[in-house]
Amino acid sequence: MIPSLLLRCLLFAVLWWVLAEGRIDGWWLGAIAVATATWASAVLLPPAAHRLRLVQMPGFVWFFLRNSIRGGFQVAMMALRGRSALQPGVLELQLNLPAGGARVLMTSVIGLMPGTLSVELAEDRLRLHVLDVRLSLAAEVGELETRIRALFGVGP
Amino acid sequence: MTGFELPIALFLLCNLIVALLAAARGPTAADRMLMALLFGSTGTGVLVLLAHGGGGQVLVDVALLLALLAAIGGIAFARRAWQRGGDD
Amino acid sequence: MIEILSTALLIVGAFFYFAGTLGLLRFPDVYSRLHALAKADNLGLGCVLIGLALQAENVAVALKLLLIWPLALAASAGVSYAIARRADSLGIAPWRKEKQ
Repeated sequence: MIPSLLLRCLLFAVLWWVLAEGRIDGWWLGAIAVATATWASAVLLPPAAHRLRLVQMPGFVWFFLRNSIRGGFQVAMMALRGRSALQPGVLELQLNLPAGGARVLMTSVIGLMPGTLSVELAEDRLRLHVLDVRLSLAAEVGELETRIRALFGVGP
Repeated sequence: MTGFELPIALFLLCNLIVALLAAARGPTAADRMLMALLFGSTGTGVLVLLAHGGGGQVLVDVALLLALLAAIGGIAFARRAWQRGGDD
Repeated sequence: MIEILSTALLIVGAFFYFAGTLGLLRFPDVYSRLHALAKADNLGLGCVLIGLALQAENVAVALKLLLIWPLALAASAGVSYAIARRADSLGIAPWRKEKQ
């Protein structure tokens, strides 16, 4: 509980430093802002309520960046080639993720991965629109799911 | 500042106008909703370029705020879509 | 050197914005247009932000520019899902090649 709040406090302090562009002349205002933000986060999101595995964070961020760059590049090439490059289709899959944050994260992040876009999430079934049915997107979506499971600390 | 910021900002602005017209003309109501996306990405891009092209650092704050509001809006939209059942 | 890299990133960013708009104009339905806007425009913004951050006078200013990116990504991810879901509930069928 206390270490988690200290970490948040440190995070808000860094955020203030960034927003103030490195100036420290208004430090007292920053101190008030950091204290208020820490208090608000403790009330709105108690440390015990969510269990993100921080160790998994850098790996997930790297995976996300790599794939969203690839996704942007791929769709840009398709746009240059016109609609003849597309072979859209619909993919339906069963999510093996706990309800709540994990499923919402999965649904949102898929929209920035190469070739996929969430259309509807109903319970544990997710319907996707894919730009090209010829690509092996199911495997990529599976890898994203594994990463999110690791991030939320569920199963192997 | 390398002198490229303003021409690129102008290019993005032209892009934004073309995209807005295309989205407004879109055949379905969903096409018109694409405008919400355009302001989040192209709008912030133009603002940061203008900040570095001589508009001053204050425009970066504006861009940051625009991105923040777009993010809150996006998350709220998605939550709404996620929580409610078949009809919305 | 840094100036050349920065300019190159700005131009690459502008290219991705252009590709996003091109996709918006050329793709056949709202779902594929969403792909183009959400993915290409965000990559364009990312390139522009990194390009400008390279020119920043100190680390804090650079980080402030880079802070915009995750916010824009979150916005795009949320909004594109909301639009796709809305389009689906309006009964808009995805375009298919076979039917053309």
